[in-house]
Amino acid sequence: MKKTLVVMAVVTSLFFCTGLFNGAQAQSKTPYKIGFIVPLTGYLSWLGEYMKKGAEVKVEMINRAGGVNGRPLELVSYDDQSLPETATRHAQRLISRDGVVAMMGTGTAVVSGAVSSVANKSKVPAVIQSGYALSDKETFTFNNAHPTDFAISRPMMYFQKKGISRVALLMPIGPLGELGSGIARKHAPTYKITLVGEEKFDVKAPDVTTQLAKLRTLNPQAIMAFTTGEPAALLARNMAQMGMNIPLVVSHGNATPGFLKLVAQTPGTVIVPSGKIMATETLADTDPVKKVVVEFSRAYQAKYGEPANYYSGQQADAVALIAEGLRVTKSDDPVKLRDAIENTKNFPGCNGVYNMSPTDHQGTRTEDMILLTIKDGKWAVLD
Amino acid sequence: MNEFSTLVQFFFSGLTSGSVYALIAVSLVIVYKVSLLICFAQGEFFVIGALTMVTLTSKGLPMPLAFACSVLISAAVGALVERFLIRPIRDASVGSLIVMTIAISLALRGLALLIWGKESKILPPFSAGKPIGVFGATLQPQVLWIIGITILVLLVIWLFFEKTTMGVAMRACAENRLGASLMGISTEKAAFLSWAWGSGIGALAGMAVAPLLFMQYSSGVMPMVKGFIAMSVGGLASIVGAVVAGYLLGVVEAYTIGLISSQFSDTIVFTLLIIVLIFKPSGLFGATRSREV
Repeated sequence: MKKTLVVMAVVTSLFFCTGLFNGAQAQSKTPYKIGFIVPLTGYLSWLGEYMKKGAEVKVEMINRAGGVNGRPLELVSYDDQSLPETATRHAQRLISRDGVVAMMGTGTAVVSGAVSSVANKSKVPAVIQSGYALSDKETFTFNNAHPTDFAISRPMMYFQKKGISRVALLMPIGPLGELGSGIARKHAPTYKITLVGEEKFDVKAPDVTTQLAKLRTLNPQAIMAFTTGEPAALLARNMAQMGMNIPLVVSHGNATPGFLKLVAQTPGTVIVPSGKIMATETLADTDPVKKVVVEFSRAYQAKYGEPANYYSGQQADAVALIAEGLRVTKSDDPVKLRDAIENTKNFPGCNGVYNMSPTDHQGTRTEDMILLTIKDGKWAVLD
Repeated sequence: MNEFSTLVQFFFSGLTSGSVYALIAVSLVIVYKVSLLICFAQGEFFVIGALTMVTLTSKGLPMPLAFACSVLISAAVGALVERFLIRPIRDASVGSLIVMTIAISLALRGLALLIWGKESKILPPFSAGKPIGVFGATLQPQVLWIIGITILVLLVIWLFFEKTTMGVAMRACAENRLGASLMGISTEKAAFLSWAWGSGIGALAGMAVAPLLFMQYSSGVMPMVKGFIAMSVGGLASIVGAVVAGYLLGVVEAYTIGLISSQFSDTIVFTLLIIVLIFKPSGLFGATRSREV
């Protein structure tokens, strides 16, 4: 008991000493704390790794350039284990214990939805990155990921340009497939596209030639499948087997090195909607996002020895949006920060040019997406 | 494309899925025949076999040698599992043993994750070549390899269990463990060998079907479930039954998806399973004689 007291006394006095010692300097340079919830373990860990790297690079870049309003940014990161419960707990902790000015992160609609709900209850701004659809009541949440709608309307825009009007849907059984199917039906008339038929498939099935054979009888000019990873690659493989030489559009979650490996050897045209960061070399000099994208990619490559991708760029944008908000408001007040982010205009990022408003908490447009395809085992820009 | 070629494509699709289900069902039956135990870790041997082969071929080992090595490595893992995890509790109830196999399944899955990571791997087909076209429908040549391998496996199993002393001894253990041990048969050795056989064939199944799929540490779950259904329909202890039921399952699924809807394929498959179990509880090929004590 006595020992513990002595230890505690020593620790406390040390704590105060260092506090006094640094006091003068720290006063003017208290960092802005940004809470970062990221899936570093669990089934989204592949994504979490890119998010973490992207955020770290962007924070370093900003701090190296003198920080925001003379104050550095500091990331307070927690692993949500890809679980909404854990994400909720960490979001609460970030606000009540760590005192962050804003939060950002995480993967999937469910997990980032959990973060959004905490943010709105506590009235602290959150910039999330997922397919989560914000409601009007979630006034403190921004979602800087390209909305799911873009991933379907962007390829349709391309089809219209190429004179492709007959499209078939092949959607996974489950909520994601329902979502994709609904969005496709909503946007098809806008781009003068006739949806000739729709089939569903089990993502765990070892073969989908049955569904493809049924769709083939309807003579589609392209197939849209809102699916990611192995099932998407299996569709491409089965289409090649059947000699179906028409484009296959898969979801924007596929712009990863892992997916590239799965389909690199498969003949046929696989179309993956993605962000401009995947096409750094081909961007026109007049492109407003070129400077931001190239600088970020260079810093990322230098730090991690691998090219930046869609997810790391998206996370960097979240950091940049929060930093820009802080720069404008010059205040730690969460409501003022929210208002500042909400008024972001013509702000270039990796995902496009952000124009936020009270009714648009997303910011980018369909045209900010690009379409990738695979040529000689590498990503190539299709449109 | 006419109606007929579409119907043929449904059949080919069923054959492809069925070939995946049938082989793993065989490996389940082998373990069951000798130790009267349903091994839920079979899906993991399926994965370990396939991923070991991916690693060995990428290291430059020729295909046939990599194939043989992977079967042997997986069989050894299976035998070790039996020796150190199953044998110590062999007198426990069937329930505990099954729970043990589930635990082993999770442990092996974790091990595969550690060794091979999360990314899916591709195993090239055993023979290069264009898909086979029949009446405008296409079939991957790999499916013919799988059918050939399945026939070969059936032949080897039949020879071993009918013609060799060890095989007959292992069957005797399955019939009556006490009786067999009184006849001087080592029941321990029989169980040990049955696990080696079961995991070896599970691995072989994984290697044979890997070129059709994308393999990663958790790829064994779906084949395990479907293989188990095929095993039940086929009559638990019938190897030929498991094969027939596996292909039947694949074809029924494909025609359900093709002619009715993919949303109902699981419902219809499970309804058929229930019907078979109600009217012929011993399965399509199950022995009808009762076991006497």
